[in-house]
Amino acid sequence: MPVQEIIQRCEELFEDLSFSSVRAWKEAEPGRKVVGYMPIYVPLEIIHAAGMLPLGILGGGDALEVIHGDAYYQSYICRIPRSTVELGVTKRLDFVDGMLFPSICDVIRNLSGIWKLMFPDVYTRYFDTPQNFRSDIGGEFYVNDLRELVSGLENLGGRKISDDDLRASIEVYNESRRWVRKVYQFRSEQPWKVPASEVYLLMRAGQTLPVEDHTQMMKDYLAAVENEDRRMKDNCRVIVNGSFCEQPPLGLIKSIELAGCYIVDDDYMMINRLITEDVESEGDHLLNLSEAFIKHSMAFPSKFEPNGEVQGHYLADIVKQRGAEGVIFAAPSFCDPALLDQPMLANVLDERKIPYIAFQFAENSGQMQPIREQAGTFADSIKLWSAA
Amino acid sequence: MIHTIGIDVGTGAVKTVLFSADGGKTDWLVKRVERIRKRDPYKLAEETMNKALEEAGLSVDDIAYIATTGEGESLAFHTGHFYSMTTHARGAIYLDPEVRSVLDIGALHGRAIRIDERGKVLEYRMTSQCASGTGQFLENIARYLGITSEEIGELSLEADDPEVVSSICAVLAETDVINMVSRSISSPNILKGIHISMAQRLLKLLRATKVTDGAVLLTGGLALDKGLVAAMKEGVADPKSKTTVEVRGHEDSIYAGAIGAALWGAFRHEKLADIAALKIAS
Repeated sequence: MPVQEIIQRCEELFEDLSFSSVRAWKEAEPGRKVVGYMPIYVPLEIIHAAGMLPLGILGGGDALEVIHGDAYYQSYICRIPRSTVELGVTKRLDFVDGMLFPSICDVIRNLSGIWKLMFPDVYTRYFDTPQNFRSDIGGEFYVNDLRELVSGLENLGGRKISDDDLRASIEVYNESRRWVRKVYQFRSEQPWKVPASEVYLLMRAGQTLPVEDHTQMMKDYLAAVENEDRRMKDNCRVIVNGSFCEQPPLGLIKSIELAGCYIVDDDYMMINRLITEDVESEGDHLLNLSEAFIKHSMAFPSKFEPNGEVQGHYLADIVKQRGAEGVIFAAPSFCDPALLDQPMLANVLDERKIPYIAFQFAENSGQMQPIREQAGTFADSIKLWSAA
Repeated sequence: MIHTIGIDVGTGAVKTVLFSADGGKTDWLVKRVERIRKRDPYKLAEETMNKALEEAGLSVDDIAYIATTGEGESLAFHTGHFYSMTTHARGAIYLDPEVRSVLDIGALHGRAIRIDERGKVLEYRMTSQCASGTGQFLENIARYLGITSEEIGELSLEADDPEVVSSICAVLAETDVINMVSRSISSPNILKGIHISMAQRLLKLLRATKVTDGAVLLTGGLALDKGLVAAMKEGVADPKSKTTVEVRGHEDSIYAGAIGAALWGAFRHEKLADIAALKIAS
């Protein structure tokens, strides 16, 4: 399948705020259930093992006019909860049977309460991942958390989730994450062949499609893109950081690239690759999922780093690992996790003499000229004035 | 010796230059400017580049680095793109090594840039989103007055009693001009009034970048507008301007962006070769 065809399909999924493909999946067989989730992380394996389709809810983007949503939040709160409320109030999510709100920030936690009040018939759960990373403390807490989720989804689906179901789902997601890592690795090695906007759309499609279909899509994409004749340009290599929850408009990602930057790593769609190694598929599956999160999950601002010696080092480590030349902090306005961590991350970058710039966006930002200007001058400063 | 091309895709015209570079020595071989006039700027850029190559007796394979600037970032065939501020700064130093500031006045924006002797940008300010300090605004006015863009400068110099127009907003300024036409104010006096208003705005931008003395080079499409250059000089001469800058033009000012792109392209070509050599050595 040609790259253009794959990306066009991804773009259709991305733009469809009625979630037609998910509705079609649900209607294809009686009794099917859809469980929505918000960024950054929920254990999709359990939803999958329950025979349900996980659906990533990432706000309304720049195409949705928020009218009702503004009534629920103060003006100094980011936009994703407003547009998510808007999606709910306008019945765009009326087919969703359950909603999971991970512990990313107070706003999303409070949104779980709003959801319960607005949609009492929807299985709604605030999903609290541990902030203690000892297996016997945080790990045990998390296993119990997962057990409650399993129980909740069993009630919702009207059937038990067996060990075999969990094992199969863990294997399916292990394969998915392997391919996600391959896509990211390939982009890091040959970013001129894999534009960030395409990777973004490809990863975003994983929030809507059944995981098996998404894995196949990634395989098809990598096979197709290898043969694409795309010229290498003299762009600088950057990491984009801070966009793990509310998503930037696609135009912003394209603007960064057009301005002369190859994005060689990012924190968009972290759920696709937050677990960095295969989850053990034999033994106690909930314990295995817990251990994967405790021991093998990527660092992100909503996750506590107990070791003060390495706090904030993860970004600089990614810069080194990817051979990047700079960092672009692109955080949503009013995003507490991203903006509160930014000074700490920037301090480490300063210590390691890694250049960076910072700007903020909202999911409906329309004016890209300032972004182009900042990213363009940043790229020039790296290309012309860096020591390398 | 290598050859590099700089292509500046502006809103009103595409400027293309071709340089040869040998170590620190550079030779400017070809220059071409094409007004866009409702044509596809990207096709035009490619055509202009091909004409430049033909004129130099070279083929595209002989070019070590095709550098774009302005709106040229979407050109598929470029090697690298540089932001227009970076290229105008470098181009200005090439055209006039004494200048330490640049006023780039294009079709859609005006921009003051403070630079060092290497052409490195130290500070800049732009005319945000309002078009009242730009070429597009002047072209609109020319249309109202029934004159061509090329006539603007000469007519402005004929003014004997210029009328002041708004320097804040292009919409207000255009309304002012329509009123002036209905009051039978002469075209030279209207144009001079506009030039004075633009000059005041551009001098403010310069002051905002902490440029109050030394030589400033005008670049961009409006650098060749004699009326604007005269208004700038008169503006500086006014003690209220709080500046003693020396406003300079150059016959090739319009190529500053393209020149900067070509020269930075040569620099990058060399730097990338050094990096590759370092990698091989390690």
